[in-house]
Amino acid sequence: MRPRWQKVLSDIWDNKVRTLLVVLSIAVGVLAIGVIAGAYVIISHDMSVSYAAKNPANIEIRMDDFDEDFLNTLRDFDGVADVEGRRVFGMRARRVGDTAWKVLDIVAFKDFKANTINLLEPVRGVPAPEKGQIVLEKTVLEEISIAVGDELEVELPDGTTRRLEVVGVVLDSSTSAADFLAAPLAYITLDTAPSLGQPELYNRLYATLSEGQDDDAHIRAVFADLKDTIEKSGYDVGLTRRSKTHEHPLASIVNAVLGILMALGVLIVFLSSSLIANTLSALLQQHMRHIGVIKLIGGRNRQVFLMYLSLIFAFGVMALLIAVPLGGQGAYALAQFIADQMSFSLLGYRIVPISFVIQIAIGMLVPLVAGFVPVVRGTRVTVLQAISGDALRLQAGGPTRWERFQLRVTQALARRGIHVPRPLLISLRNTFRRRGRLALTLFTLTMGGAIFISVFNVRVTLNEYVRQVGNYFLADVTLDFERPYRLDEIRQYAMRLDGVTWVEGWAYASAEILYPDGTVADNINILAPPANSGLVSPLMISGRWITPQDRQKLVISEGIFDYYPDLKVGDTLPLKINAREEAWEVVGIFKFIGVEGILGYAPYEYIAAEQNLARRSYSYRLVAERHDRAYQKQLADRAAQAFRDWGFHVREAVPGLSTLDDASESLDILVTFLLIMALLTAVVGAMGLAGTMSMNVLERTREIGVMRAIGATDSAVMRMVITEGTLIGVISWGLAVVLSVPITYLLATIVSLAVFNTPITIVFTPLGYIIWIGLVLLLSAVSSVLPARNAARLTIREVLAYE
Amino acid sequence: MQPIIELRNVVKVYSSPAGDYEALHGINLEIYPGEFFGILGKSGAGKSTLLNMITGVDRLTSGEVIVRARGREVSVHTLGENALALWRGRTIGVVYQSFQLLPMLNLLQNVMLPMDLCGDYHPRRSRERALELLRRVELEEHAFKPPAFISGGQQQRVAIARALANDPPILVADEPTGSLDSVTADHIFDFFEELVAEGKTIVMVTHDHGLMPRFDRYVRIVDGQLAEDPVEEVAV
Ligand SMILES: Nc1ncnc2c1ncn2[C@@H]1O[C@H](COP(=O)(O)OP(=O)(O)O)[C@@H](O)[C@H]1O
Ligand SMILES: [Mg+2]
Repeated sequence: MRPRWQKVLSDIWDNKVRTLLVVLSIAVGVLAIGVIAGAYVIISHDMSVSYAAKNPANIEIRMDDFDEDFLNTLRDFDGVADVEGRRVFGMRARRVGDTAWKVLDIVAFKDFKANTINLLEPVRGVPAPEKGQIVLEKTVLEEISIAVGDELEVELPDGTTRRLEVVGVVLDSSTSAADFLAAPLAYITLDTAPSLGQPELYNRLYATLSEGQDDDAHIRAVFADLKDTIEKSGYDVGLTRRSKTHEHPLASIVNAVLGILMALGVLIVFLSSSLIANTLSALLQQHMRHIGVIKLIGGRNRQVFLMYLSLIFAFGVMALLIAVPLGGQGAYALAQFIADQMSFSLLGYRIVPISFVIQIAIGMLVPLVAGFVPVVRGTRVTVLQAISGDALRLQAGGPTRWERFQLRVTQALARRGIHVPRPLLISLRNTFRRRGRLALTLFTLTMGGAIFISVFNVRVTLNEYVRQVGNYFLADVTLDFERPYRLDEIRQYAMRLDGVTWVEGWAYASAEILYPDGTVADNINILAPPANSGLVSPLMISGRWITPQDRQKLVISEGIFDYYPDLKVGDTLPLKINAREEAWEVVGIFKFIGVEGILGYAPYEYIAAEQNLARRSYSYRLVAERHDRAYQKQLADRAAQAFRDWGFHVREAVPGLSTLDDASESLDILVTFLLIMALLTAVVGAMGLAGTMSMNVLERTREIGVMRAIGATDSAVMRMVITEGTLIGVISWGLAVVLSVPITYLLATIVSLAVFNTPITIVFTPLGYIIWIGLVLLLSAVSSVLPARNAARLTIREVLAYE
Repeated sequence: MQPIIELRNVVKVYSSPAGDYEALHGINLEIYPGEFFGILGKSGAGKSTLLNMITGVDRLTSGEVIVRARGREVSVHTLGENALALWRGRTIGVVYQSFQLLPMLNLLQNVMLPMDLCGDYHPRRSRERALELLRRVELEEHAFKPPAFISGGQQQRVAIARALANDPPILVADEPTGSLDSVTADHIFDFFEELVAEGKTIVMVTHDHGLMPRFDRYVRIVDGQLAEDPVEEVAV
């Protein structure tokens, strides 16, 4: 091999720590981008494809019980391709032998073979149960540890139980795709329903359209006609949902989250490139003499430039060798994780060409760009500067402004009798000696820290928001009955339960919001608590809360802005309620987690009277003397049991905050992602610091030798180096504290817009700041210990011989 | 006969924040082909500065340096940086007191490097040539060791072999024996005399006046000026 390439090779091989540092800093950025870009491509493609492959219903209607004959009348409905009926009901279930109950939504099919809409994908066992058997959706396994062949015990409204044999596990990516708060699903045949106390009738209608399946307006039009027909046939319609075939209902949220991750990935690339620039400029500094010699014996600038360019190129190739295969795996793992969370399946492992290309481009370009300035500057050095080792002196000139400033401060302090310890002074001087390098190190570490801190703030912000939204669910137990009971009666009985302090009956109405032209905009669920209820404390944006005198007035969630962007308090809204078109006045607008459509509140006093249910209710809220989850759960069980014993037809008793737990859980997944990215940036920052410290130490080898020659002990040398590292850490923390404010705002706003469709109030927590100061101190101590140990280990002779 | 190296009124001023310092005050000097030429003087007299003017390692402030070699007359300081490097690589071999070998390359590669950079020899030929040169300085058996594994005297011999790699007509040495013991230094000197006998022109700087008799000719430099006494011929 030609000697100059041999030199490049030796430069890579001989200083393995430095090579590793550079290669890893390139690899981190490439990996981050590769994983995220790959996952992005896989998810955004597979999510819609695998969703569409299951032939998802364009229209879902929850309605009164209906039979096969009625379903058949709808088969030829204009614009409808296919219809299916199912019965869906909630039921508590557990594995035989377990103690805790879980609520499942049980879906009954007439005939699994005739299933054409919302297709099930077999995972294990058989996908179609026989009479007396049950098939579970995959997510059930997260709640109940049960296997194919085990028996599932379900609880009937009267408190008795039935056993069903679990024969299979399936993946259902359509049925509750839009609702990550929905209960897990399980499937039986319709002829199993009677044994669970349910009639052999459908209560849910699923329909696909023959055309315009991705056209919202068309779906809405067919839906309105269909609903009209159903209502004219004498059936009441409850909650309804419309969705496009080729767009997963949560696609926008997932894309937003991936977008945030991508932004962080780009940032990591940015940080890692500052790390590369740092290391390379130190490398060229150390190679100054070599460059001088090469020029002395006939080397031209272009040759030197090419040698170092190939060195950088080689670093890039090595980084790619690590990061590309890992990135491909990581991308698929991340995509798989998201797919699992969202209950859809990927189309199989594959290499994503575009992310492959992006990775190679980044792995090659970033080091070249980052290394360009150091290399150009390094190759420009003259033989004289290089050979005499004078380059530094020639560049630096006299004492810098900082050094003069430091001298003056020290003198001023000394006059006041304050003596800064000399080693600290040396550390201080060293820290600021290489300002370019310091700036890059600080930048990297500060960004890492600021993001780390911000993620904690974002977490608290999200949780605080969910907690405030929790104020809509203040009751400890929600008790629903199969038929209405008198308020007085239920209150009397409920107060007999241990620990119950308050009981309220609520009403409920389902309606449709209409556009001015009379077409349907969306569904609205109107909850009707007593106007003076203390169980709702809404986050009002404008207007007022409900009063007992309100008639045809409502308070509405801000999701309404999707349809009426200019709506103001005092405006009227056309509603279709109880098959009548009415104009309701909006008296207030509030914030709410808006994935599940639009929510409204009206007083019980009005709604119950309209439904001929005055002083009666299907649904009750109990308040207990304790509000912890365990107690709520236990009270729910006791209440269900007691009311059954007293002869009431209990449908279900749900502990208060259980829905919120699910919400927080899915937010936690998001926060975990953010935290992983934050940790990655922190790692890059720490690598930067370690690199800087070892370069600083290397450059000062002679100085350290002199210090040791005049009696500095090992520990004094080590302390000096570690102080320096820690100082940088502390400074970066201070900067990160400042920078975390705008980053928190940015991140929280992006996340809340993606997840809640609304900006939310930012909350700060000291937690991130505290953890980061601890972490940064630890990181900076650790990353300077190794260089410090090396420095202390140098013998005086070695040091003074060092060139 | 025309001088191979000719300095005309060469002035070198170093500028620093502390002020200007004139290290060479108008040097005129002629060195002829095949001479073993000495430049003597105390430390700080300006010897290295003078050599740097000849090799083009540093820029002169005024005056001219002309080198006539390889059938070409070159005014050193009119060359651009890259042209200068290539010209120097082919025309002048440089040896320093601190050997300036590249630590990551073995001796053979160190000697091959100038041939690689200037491109006058085919890679295979340059390897043979480097081995020959190492044989001449009696280091062939160490060819594959890194410089750190051999003694100072041996390293200096490798540096000389490297300086000879492109077969330049001129060899310039700045205190090449300064860090060597006297026996080793003698060896180096013998080798230089051998090279002169083969027709090379050697310009060597030293502060050791005891070496005076071994040069064909020498000048003494004092405070940036050639000393009063004329250039002395030394009878060999
Ligand atoms: N780069 C430089 N900047 C400023 N002064 C220099 C520089 N190099 C050499 N000098 C000064 O020029 C004078 C001659 O130096 P030099 O040629 O190295 O002396 P010698 O080689 O004879 O010992 C000395 O006084 C030295 O301090
Ligand atoms: Mg000198």
